[in-house]
Amino acid sequence: MTIPYDLLLNAVIAGLLLGGFYAAVTAGVSISFGILDIVNIAHPGFIILGSYIAYIINIRLGVDPIVASVVMAPVFYALGSTIYQVYYLSFERRGQEALRGLAFFFGLLFITEVGLILVFGVDYRYVDASYIGPSLHLGNAHFPLRLLVPCLVSLVLFTGLHLFLTRTFMGRAINAVSQDQLALQLMAADPIRIKRVAFAISIAIAGVAGALLIVIQPVEPSVGREYIGRIFAICVLGGLGSLPGTLIAAMLLGLMESFTSTFYGPSWSPAVSFGFLLLTLAVRPAGLLGR
Amino acid sequence: MRAWPFLAAAVIVAAIVFALARYLENDYVFYAGYVVLQFIVLATAWNILGGYTGYVNFGSAAFFALGAYTSVFFHKAYPLPIPVLMVIGGVVSGIVGLGMGYLTLRLRGAFFAIATLALAVVLQTLIINWTYVGGARGAYVIRPNEIPILGSYIQYLFLLMLVLAVLAVATARLIERSRLGYGFATIRDDELAAEACGVPTLGLKLIATTLSGAFMGMAGAPFPYYIGYIEPASTFGLAYAVNSIAMPMIGGTTTWIGPLIGAILLGLLQQIATVTISSAVNLLIVGMLLVDFVIIAPNGIVGLVKERRTASNVVVEPTVFVLLFVLNLSPMYFLVEQGTAAQSIGLVFWLVLAYVAHMRGRVLGRWWLIAFPLAGILFAFAPAITAIPVTTAIFASTILQIICVACGLLPMRRPAEASAR
Repeated sequence: MTIPYDLLLNAVIAGLLLGGFYAAVTAGVSISFGILDIVNIAHPGFIILGSYIAYIINIRLGVDPIVASVVMAPVFYALGSTIYQVYYLSFERRGQEALRGLAFFFGLLFITEVGLILVFGVDYRYVDASYIGPSLHLGNAHFPLRLLVPCLVSLVLFTGLHLFLTRTFMGRAINAVSQDQLALQLMAADPIRIKRVAFAISIAIAGVAGALLIVIQPVEPSVGREYIGRIFAICVLGGLGSLPGTLIAAMLLGLMESFTSTFYGPSWSPAVSFGFLLLTLAVRPAGLLGR
Repeated sequence: MRAWPFLAAAVIVAAIVFALARYLENDYVFYAGYVVLQFIVLATAWNILGGYTGYVNFGSAAFFALGAYTSVFFHKAYPLPIPVLMVIGGVVSGIVGLGMGYLTLRLRGAFFAIATLALAVVLQTLIINWTYVGGARGAYVIRPNEIPILGSYIQYLFLLMLVLAVLAVATARLIERSRLGYGFATIRDDELAAEACGVPTLGLKLIATTLSGAFMGMAGAPFPYYIGYIEPASTFGLAYAVNSIAMPMIGGTTTWIGPLIGAILLGLLQQIATVTISSAVNLLIVGMLLVDFVIIAPNGIVGLVKERRTASNVVVEPTVFVLLFVLNLSPMYFLVEQGTAAQSIGLVFWLVLAYVAHMRGRVLGRWWLIAFPLAGILFAFAPAITAIPVTTAIFASTILQIICVACGLLPMRRPAEASAR
């Protein structure tokens, strides 16, 4: 079988653009799971919540979904802050995060999904924006703007986050808290406050990623479940807590999924991420750029 | 009690349950009872891994569906009696559990949990693409109406599940009191220390995963015959995953009786609830109860009874207080849509609210905080008895609860009291 050149080229482009978007989706988990060691499996729930909020604002007020999500980010920040506080008080402080903390986040994921089903039903929802229909053509290469815009926003977000974590005082404090909490306390910094800020940032990013998601594809409440495998596969493959690793892993997964759905059919693509995850865990649990 | 007398007692209890169900002469009892029994098996199986060793399995639905689809496969290829199918389903799920465990259990616990979550998605993808067992369209499994000796077929299925439930609970209890169980407990408490003391942790964890997966598969094997029509979306549905976690968590995870209590309570509640309310609201209730219990009563109902004061005082913290209040209020609005009969289920949440308000009120010295949720109960039932319209009642009740949260958050007036805290 000869693979048509155009098809291959466009599969690569779609994969890279998709990968850029996956990077934004995973960035939040990279902070919460990779750096803070909080297994926030409710993360996709917050992403879908972000999608629906962007949807409501878009339908009611006609605001661009991505702009709407940036405006809503402080609300998600506050939500994340509250949830971390409850998580810390109820589980982390008592050393019960392994079993009950996980069950808590699972419950949150579940409540978000069922709550959205009850309010909006299981219909697919989509948004209106000028860049959703057309594509950019460069010779044989097609760049669908629907994928290109989220990818660019996501890369900006990702670069900003990387600079924040490596250049600012707070970012370095967040990295420090993952290395030695006690040492941080000895320097008169409150590790709980720093962790709260970091977790809140991760949820705020989830909200923005949700808006990108609803630009890329129509959303219904249970879409989040497909992302659990993807997010954690990317996070583990990239190496826990390593943002550059996460970006590379996201691109890899995007490419793999794009090839699978182009050459074998889209119904197989959810299996790719899981294969990736198991392979990584079996061969190199530290990930590509792991510490 | 030793293992054999316990098994004998369990068999006697099961026989009484079966005799009672037959005495009622109503097939609905068997249909509802089957689901409750199935949840007893799933909850107990989950607890063997989750409760005893502390490794969370989010993929109960995957193991359950694996058993169910093994049955579908054999139903099409070479029909076998159901007890044989249960054994085969158990073996298949057990092997998958072993493989999953081998790949992920050498790492931190979180990886195993994530991998099980993803496993459900991938198995669902496989089944959707496998047309022989029905693919996305689903498959019909026609079961005979009658069976010799017992009469109706549903009684036969009920009996099989009853036997499996007895087996599962007896196994869980046997493990708990054996060297194996103590090994599991050391893993749960401190895996590193256990490893250092020479406990073969990986081997023990693999035994737990295999056993747990096998029981879930066995619970799933008769399912196609029970339901008659099987399709991936509902078989892999969240209902199984969330129930098999919520039931042990609510009952209590460290003993065999916890999952049993949790499964019977939640299972019966859901069977009663499905008559009056939609399945989505049903699942919302389970999710809410799960979150409530892990925060308020970390050791479940068993813990509440045994230690009486374990109900942690974490609810008095302002953020926890607010979150619990908002979470527990939200299902009320969905229950209202479901009609007045559903209000009685809302009572559970009102009681949680009353408890939360009481604890917070006690710390603040504002004992009257509990009056707000209690008034909420009155308003919830008022439209059924008096002429107050439903919307007015909800509105009034919401205002009251907002005042309650506000009063619960106001700083204390006298600083002397604050220091006494």
